[in-house]
Order: sequence, then structure tokens, then C-alpha cells
Amino acid sequence: MSAITQTSDLTNKAALIPLATERPAYYRMSGIEETSNVSSEFQEERSEVEVEEEIGYEDPFRYVFYRDRKEWADLEPVPQDDGPNPVVKIAYSDKFTDVYDYFRALLKNDEKSDRALLLTAEAIELNAANYTVWHYRRVLLQALEKDLREEMRYITAIIEDQPKNYQVWHHRRMVVEWLNDPSEELEFIAEILSQDAKNYHAWQHRQWVIKEYKLWDSELEYVEQLLEEDVRNNSAWNQRHYIISHTTGYSDPAILNREVQYSLKQIKKAPHNESVWNYLKGILQDLGLSSHPGLLEQILELKETHCSPYLLGFLVDIYEDFLENTLEHHEEVLSKALELCELLAREKDTIRREYWSYVGRSLQTKYVIVSSGFAPTNE
Amino acid sequence: MKLHLVYFTVLTLNSKLFFFGSGPPKRPLMLTIVFFALSGLDVLDSLNVIDKPSLIEWVYSLQVIPTEDQSNLGRCGFRGSSHIGVPYSTSKGPGVSHPYDSGHVAMTYTGLACLVLLGDDLSRVNKEACLMGLKALQLEDGSFYAVPEGSENDMRFVYCAACICYMLDDWSGMDIKKAIDYIRGSMSYDNGIGQGAGLESHGGSTFCAVAALSLMGKLEEMFSQRELNRIRRWCMMRQQNGFQGRPNKPVDTCYSFWVGATLELLDVFQYTNFEKNRNYILSTQDRLVGGFAKWPDSHPDPLHAYFGICGLSLIGEANLRRVHPALNVSQRAFEYLQHLHRTWRGTCT
Repeated sequence: MSAITQTSDLTNKAALIPLATERPAYYRMSGIEETSNVSSEFQEERSEVEVEEEIGYEDPFRYVFYRDRKEWADLEPVPQDDGPNPVVKIAYSDKFTDVYDYFRALLKNDEKSDRALLLTAEAIELNAANYTVWHYRRVLLQALEKDLREEMRYITAIIEDQPKNYQVWHHRRMVVEWLNDPSEELEFIAEILSQDAKNYHAWQHRQWVIKEYKLWDSELEYVEQLLEEDVRNNSAWNQRHYIISHTTGYSDPAILNREVQYSLKQIKKAPHNESVWNYLKGILQDLGLSSHPGLLEQILELKETHCSPYLLGFLVDIYEDFLENTLEHHEEVLSKALELCELLAREKDTIRREYWSYVGRSLQTKYVIVSSGFAPTNE
Repeated sequence: MKLHLVYFTVLTLNSKLFFFGSGPPKRPLMLTIVFFALSGLDVLDSLNVIDKPSLIEWVYSLQVIPTEDQSNLGRCGFRGSSHIGVPYSTSKGPGVSHPYDSGHVAMTYTGLACLVLLGDDLSRVNKEACLMGLKALQLEDGSFYAVPEGSENDMRFVYCAACICYMLDDWSGMDIKKAIDYIRGSMSYDNGIGQGAGLESHGGSTFCAVAALSLMGKLEEMFSQRELNRIRRWCMMRQQNGFQGRPNKPVDTCYSFWVGATLELLDVFQYTNFEKNRNYILSTQDRLVGGFAKWPDSHPDPLHAYFGICGLSLIGEANLRRVHPALNVSQRAFEYLQHLHRTWRGTCT
């Protein structure tokens, strides 16, 4: 039995793929199980055997199992051994079993050869998440001193096809490190992000490349471009923070103010956006939300025209910061905070009704002035 | 519920395994799939359908044990499956030497968890070897590789490491201080926790961090009340109906557990909206084969099936065992583990 993968993507790609005989050796179809419930639309594009990599046999369109290849006759295939009572069985295709039986044989002997390298590509095509295959491939690449530029092309194609796989990104990182050449990375990652602007692996790789090779210079511009395209892209906001905190930092008041103004501008464009509010709070909270001059007034003004549960929560947090840092106007501030919690619970963020009530109670418990009968007034 | 029982039973007992949605069967991760099935059955109070002794033997066959000359101690632990081709052996006698045979931190974690779930006493676990294998995986920054050959490193494996130490009742397998530094360093400006420093805060890594600290017994010690309140807020904001993993991303069934369990560890899960959460999870059920998917009208898979069940358990759904929010096994299994620990501590070595 096997996997049902996202097929529409593959269908489009299948149509673009030249016949197996014309394809360069490293190019691979995505790692799907051929004999599976692959959708019929896909199968109309290419018959199963046409997309196989053939390695110079008389009939280029017929796949030959490793067990039938004379150049592999010296190797004894190693089956998987799950003992007398296998508890979990997967009915893999013949092809899968054949390739992996020979993979296990190579591993056991720790063989270092070109044929082994070629086989790893087949094994990867069948299951790109097998971390042992990738490790062995890396061992071979180094032992055989293979062309790492070619490997970059190979891993580029694989990632394009399976961009949410951990092993492929790790492999790419290793190759980049060996080459000590990040020159393709930012463009490649941008291409992947253009397909899914929030791909966590892509962003992780991007942060690593930028930090490792000090490629900070153009990143803020890239982030702004992404935020132009989607101001709600939380990954882009995170990257904004990453870049600035690692370059100029936020301690310069001019920078901080620039970022506050940028955030307020984005809020006005799209008020219902948790990411921008998180960013704004994030860059100000350690200094104390109540200490930034004019901020409270600006937010109160925004409340009239660009309200959101995030704005109201932000106000609660500003008031709490006041309470924490000054005794002035204590009852008034506490009362405003409680009023907002009540508004959020009752009307503006009802899914979190119980939570906002809890926040209100906590504030009350923490900040009520227990002296000479003072108590918060509820308006 | 019966349908989910069928789904999980199908996963473990049938000669054919169905994997939907997420790509080719990931053989090297087989043990994690078995964990989802077993723990899922346990939460459904249906482990009785399982042939426990056989499964216990199979799990033990995945242990990477020290060879005669003990040269592989830094590689010990559990494999995900027999995919490397090591001959079957149920952890009796010394290990077989193989150039590429090593444990994987997530498999060691789920392997131990499966044994606990199955009521095994862990007596065939080579604890010292597992802990040596774990130590070998920790990096300078406090995070962990998955395998000694090297891999990516992030909060997932910090959590796995914490679970291993917790279950073996032995924290010598890690430098706790470094692990805590890594966790603290991964807190984002928005008060969620990312996979590592600078990375976007995420429901999965937030769970891994908070649960790891909880297992270490350090949650209240390492975060101030103010920080805990901030994390609470970040997590609470993930609820849209079900839960999302990051701001402005779609909800997904599994976050009902990742974020839900985190909120439970922070004592505020009670303030979430149970009804909307429940309705979302149930909307992702597959009516034909059972199980849950990440979204409605999508194919179910073992991971989402398991975390869907766990998400429902958190809200106290009828006929489900309670799940321990940090260790991610049923409360029953957790108490069995406590019992094991008492027997270990009671005897002299």
C-alpha cells in the first residue's frame, strides 16, 4: 500500500518533464510510489515505466530490477529482518523492496563506488525522508570526491519538489558548507518562498545562510517586499525582527521610532492583523509599554477607527505596565484595564471570553489597593 | 469513537498499512507511527486488542545495544525500524557491529514510551547506553541532533531528550543548564517559542519547550510569572475555532494538542473555548475509515488521528483517558511509569 500525494502539482510537472532518455542523470521525479493509487490524471501523462531512470539497457523503456542487473550480481541483497512475527508490515512495491535490499547490502559493506551513489538517488526518489540514505550519500560524495556543483543542482530539484522535507534542506546546508559558497542561496530560497511564503524550513535555512555568511545587507528590502505582498505574513515579520536585531538593533531611538511608525502604518492599512501588533508589542515591551511617550494616546486614537481585539489587548498590556511601574492614577488605570477585559470578553474577542475574565481577575488580585477601604470602581 | 478504534487497529494489526496524505511510507520512522497507534488505542482504552508480548519483542528488536567491545556507546538508543538490515535480535546478547547502525532520538523516546504503554518494566533497556547515546547528541548550544551522524537540530529533539531522561529517571543524559539556555534563547519577540533562536514562534516548538521544562521540573523556576503570562497570551491567541500553529496561519487539528497541552501545563487551558475546539476537531474526522486529518475533507494520517484524540482528551471528552500533557501518554501509563520509578529507587544498585 502506499501514499496518495498531492497530485495536481505533480501532474503539471509531469507534463514538463522530458522523456527519461533525454533527462540528465541527476534529474528525478518526485519520490512517490509508482504502483500506488497515484491519480489516473497523472498516469495518463506518463506511463509508469517511461519515467524511470534507465542506466543504459538495451530497451530504454523497461525498468530492470537490481537483482537482474549483471553489474550487481556480486552483491547479495539484504532483506529487512523483522523477525518471526513482524508486527508492522508495509506492502511495498517490488521496485521499492529491490532498491532497498541492495541499499542495505551496500551499507553493510560500506561500499564506496559510483554505482552506490547512483543507487542512493533511486532510494531517495522512493523515499526522500530516509535520513540514512542521505547520510550514506554524503559519505559517498566525499569519498568519491564528486562534483558538488552538480550536487547543488540535484538538491535544488529535489527541494523544489519536496520543500517540506527536513532531510533535503539539511543536505543542502551540508553541500553549501562544503563548497563554502552561499551565492545561490538567497535567490533559491526566495524562489521556494514564492511558492509558499511561510515555509518554515526555507526560513530556517535562510536565517542560517544570512548569519553564517553575513548576508544581511539586502534582507530588510526583501522583507519589505514580502510584507507589501502580504502584510499578514508572520514569517516575514519575524524575519524583520531577526534582521534588525542582528544589525542595527533597536536601542537607537531613531531606529525604534522608525519601526514603531512602520508598524502603525501597516496597522492602518490592515487593522485586523495579529502579526503587526505582536511585532509592535515585541519591540516595546522590554522597555516598558507605558514608557514610550505618546504611544498610549496614539493607540487610543486608533481605537476609534482601526479597532481590533489585538489593539484592545495591547491597551490592557499598556495599562498593566503602568500599574507595574507607577502608583499614580492607580485606581483609574486599573479600572480602565478591567473595563477593556470586560469588553473583550463580552463583545470583542468572545472566543477568549473566559481568558479575558481571568486576566481581569488577575489584575484585580494583583493591583487592588488594600488600604483604608480602597477598591476599584467598576464603570 | 469506534471508528477511530478501527483506524488505529488497522494501523497496527493488518498486514497492510495505509498512509494517507503525507507522502511515501517513512519506514525509518516506523516506531513513531506505532507509538501514535498504541498511545491512541490507550487513550481509547483499547490496548487490549493488541498482542502486547509480540509488540514488546518487536520494540526491543529495535534497540541499538553496545557491541562486544563497547565501541558504539555513543550510538546507542533505538532505531525507527529494521530498515538498515541489521539481523533481528530482541535485545539479548551483545549488539551486532554495523557501520551505519545508530539510534535516533525520536525513536529512543517513542520506543521507551511504547514499552511503558505496553506495561513492560524496561529491564531489557540498556539505560547507561541509551544515556551515553543521548549525551553524544547534544550540541554546545544545548540543542540536540537526532542521530550521531549529524542532522538538523531543534526544539523537537530537546523534547525527545527530556522525555528519555524523564522515563529513564536519569538526567545524566543531558546538560540541563545548556538545554534550558537553548529553550530560553528560543523565545521570540512575540513571546511564543521557535525551533531555535531567531526562528518564528510556533505551536509545536512552544509545546516542546514548555513540556521539556515541565518534565525537568523547571518551568516555574526558569520563567518569571511575567514571562509565563506572556507565553499564556501567545498560546491563547492561537485559538480561532480549533488552533493554529502560528499567527495568521490556518488551524490544524494537531495544534489542539500542541497548543492545548501547553496551555494545560500553564494552568489556563480551562479558559479556552471547548466547544469550538471540539467542533473543529470533529469536523476533521474521516467518516469512512476513522482517524482525523489536519483539515476537514482531507486525508487522515496517524499523526493527526492521534493528536485529534489527544486534543479531545484535553477537553475531557467522554470515553477517553486523560492524557498527561507533558509526557504525551495516558495518565494511566504515566502512573505506571511512576510506579516503575518507585521500584527502581527502592532497590540498591
